[in-house]
Amino acid sequence: MSAPYVPVLFMLALGFGFAALSVFTSLVVGPKRYNRAKLEAYECGIQPTPQAAGGGRVPIKYYLTAMLFIVFDIESVFLYPFAVAFNKLGLFALVEMVLFILTVFVAYAYVWRRGGLDWD
Amino acid sequence: MTSTAEAVAFWILGPLAVLGALGLIFARKAVHAALGMALTMVTLGVFYLIEKADFLGVIQIFVYTGAVMMIFLFVIMLVGVDSSDSLLETIKGQRWWSFIFVIGLAGLLIFTLGQVTFDAKTVQAGMDRLVANNNATGNVTGIAEKIFGQYVWAFEVTSALLITAALGAMVLAHRERIVPKRTQAEWAARRVKENQDVAGLPAPGVYARHNAVDTPALLPDGRPAAKSVSRVLVARDQVARTDGYRDVERYIEREIEEGRQK
Amino acid sequence: MTLSSAAYGLLGALPATDNPSADFSDTPWWVALIKALVIFVYLLISTLLVIWFERRIIGRMQQRPGPNRNGPFGLLQTLADGAKLMLKEDITPAKADKIIYLLAPLIAGTMAFVSFAIIPFGGEVWMFGHRTPLQLTDVPVAVLLVLAVASVGVYGIILAGWSSGSTYPLLGGLRSTAQVISYEIAMGLSLVAIFLFSGSMSTSQIVAAQSSLWYILPAFFSFAVYVITMVGETNRLPFDLAEGEGELTGGFHTEYSSMRFAMFFLGEYINMFTVAALATTMFLGGWQAPPFIAAINNGMFNHGWWGILWFTIKMWIFIFGFVWLRGSLPRTRYDQFMRFGWKFLIPITLAWVVAVAFIRGAQLGFLGEGTVTVGPLGFNTSTLVIVAVVAVIALAVAWVWDGRREARLAAEQVSPPEEIDPFAGGHPVPPLPGQRLREPSVALTAGGSSGESVVSGGTVTAVKEEDHG
Repeated sequence: MSAPYVPVLFMLALGFGFAALSVFTSLVVGPKRYNRAKLEAYECGIQPTPQAAGGGRVPIKYYLTAMLFIVFDIESVFLYPFAVAFNKLGLFALVEMVLFILTVFVAYAYVWRRGGLDWD
Repeated sequence: MTSTAEAVAFWILGPLAVLGALGLIFARKAVHAALGMALTMVTLGVFYLIEKADFLGVIQIFVYTGAVMMIFLFVIMLVGVDSSDSLLETIKGQRWWSFIFVIGLAGLLIFTLGQVTFDAKTVQAGMDRLVANNNATGNVTGIAEKIFGQYVWAFEVTSALLITAALGAMVLAHRERIVPKRTQAEWAARRVKENQDVAGLPAPGVYARHNAVDTPALLPDGRPAAKSVSRVLVARDQVARTDGYRDVERYIEREIEEGRQK
Repeated sequence: MTLSSAAYGLLGALPATDNPSADFSDTPWWVALIKALVIFVYLLISTLLVIWFERRIIGRMQQRPGPNRNGPFGLLQTLADGAKLMLKEDITPAKADKIIYLLAPLIAGTMAFVSFAIIPFGGEVWMFGHRTPLQLTDVPVAVLLVLAVASVGVYGIILAGWSSGSTYPLLGGLRSTAQVISYEIAMGLSLVAIFLFSGSMSTSQIVAAQSSLWYILPAFFSFAVYVITMVGETNRLPFDLAEGEGELTGGFHTEYSSMRFAMFFLGEYINMFTVAALATTMFLGGWQAPPFIAAINNGMFNHGWWGILWFTIKMWIFIFGFVWLRGSLPRTRYDQFMRFGWKFLIPITLAWVVAVAFIRGAQLGFLGEGTVTVGPLGFNTSTLVIVAVVAVIALAVAWVWDGRREARLAAEQVSPPEEIDPFAGGHPVPPLPGQRLREPSVALTAGGSSGESVVSGGTVTAVKEEDHG
């Protein structure tokens, strides 16, 4: 087998086939009884609001989390090849990596100090 | 130069990638546009995998779909799900300037792509080098040797970019707290000190028909307790009243009628 | 095998490349397809079993029998639940985005299966006349593939929350996404230590590198971080904030019903297996037999089909851990959960990765080649120095931390006065533990002591609540 990613495709196809088939079957087999209240958004019995909370907007707090996630994600993306090839790279790469981590850590410390990591 | 399998994969995935890109531009809803972009990014990642650049392909999926799209979704939700674009120009002459820049960018891209030598021999030679490298040291090690060798300066500069990103997010999105947040214990202590609602606010009540938070509790004398309903519901005018249930039979009949029509 | 020679095995087992060590050259595509089918069925049966297992175990922990009606020991309970869900009405709320509302459960259900493609279940076996490893496939970036698939799987959650057009799902989806991405960083960082030891990201290579010593020992801290983050990643108690019933009803799947709801459930349980399988592969030697059993009869139980048995046992140990956690811990508060992830796990895992990089560098001789001989064993001098430095730093940090914590607690502690006047406020007050009652004769006889009693009464009310417990 020369293409190592083809079996991943098999798995993907099997999983999707199963999910689609069962959802489709339940659409066919399941009952359909119209009821206006049933199709309304569930809000614990009170009259549902015309739109989801805040017009579908979310607290800006999440933006900061997502951005910090990307920062650390990219840091770890550099760490992976470094870790794998460490035995061939030598001391120079280790020093470079420590420098890199320290630099990113400055940003992290700043965000922490300003209270960007606090949730309320 | 290209095998049949490769060609088949290209002709399936290529249109998909283009479809995603078109979706990004033409979709009405912002989330649909974001999904179109995700599709394009995943397809590009699969292209890299086919071209035997394992690490690059997986990282493309990992970073772009995972991280960048996540932030994209967050931003869209920040703006509002259904907000339609305002066509008002906020910067004067914005449209003309953007038109000029687009032309310039297109020119640059076409010019650069025109410089690329695209004969079968060069491509095959590059591919052979990649395959040889993958077999000798492995794809990930090969990338690492490039990052910590030839491109080590770019790698270190990336950290500055990351700092900028984090600081930018802080400046844009962080709200400084001026007074410390009250803890639960402090709230309780304050209640006792002021001797108001010492046992907490009254819980919303339960009527025979309607068991929910929008129903005020009843005081001993039969009046509804205003404090038992969230002030958000009061502001929205969503507090339950009993009048709605007077004609309840007619209501049910109407609903059955609606169901028949469906 | 002694520990020290195992540590040397760790050093000696450096692969020449980071490519997979499993050999798939004799595996035609139809054998791969059969393997994919078998893994698919294995996962479905595991899911059926695990839901029953969880309910039974939690039943035992709560002193009730759990499901015991359908089939022997209630084994068919999950099947019955599935059939019932199939026959339920599939509701799409009026305000939902129809296409994405359908797409989200499909993504969640599909992506759950994919990661298992790279998990090694055993060694090489003969299958239909072909010599093939008990693993669907392996690539040089296998572990990253799992992480990438997980990050696509998150889409199922956030899209479900958004497309329902309702408040609770939106909030649940957001929370869940923020939670998963926050803990994904610590998870990814904890795995870096493993790659430093194994020199590869392919799962077969990592398992092979653990033949002498399981990575749970040298990378014990990574293991601890991974186990915590895998609970956070899968939205399980005590970290199941995304569907905190008390706050958000069902979280992102509040509006879902029938088979679409079942797809989220299926995805969640298979994700549990995925993270458990990855933990087995990365830290517990994968499919290899435990050391004592592996030694029997020259490794008779340590190759071929036996791998499936050991792998399944190890994976189910983690699953039992999941269930145990759910049976014993309450849900954490959201701000505490995020604080723990961002302010503790991430920085400390980064520090650990740097420490491991230095230890590894010393082992590989980047920091000097001198050796110290103790008896029959030779140790690398720089390794000893680095390990000592790391240990000293860790101890110092722990010491400072502990001291600060103690000082903070001491500052919070307001010791109650040694003596109280029970009648100071006009009505009798019982003394706190260790407090002496002032002789009532003072209050009774001396009529002019009222000023004193007001003061003591004031101090009594200032006593903090913690001191009662």
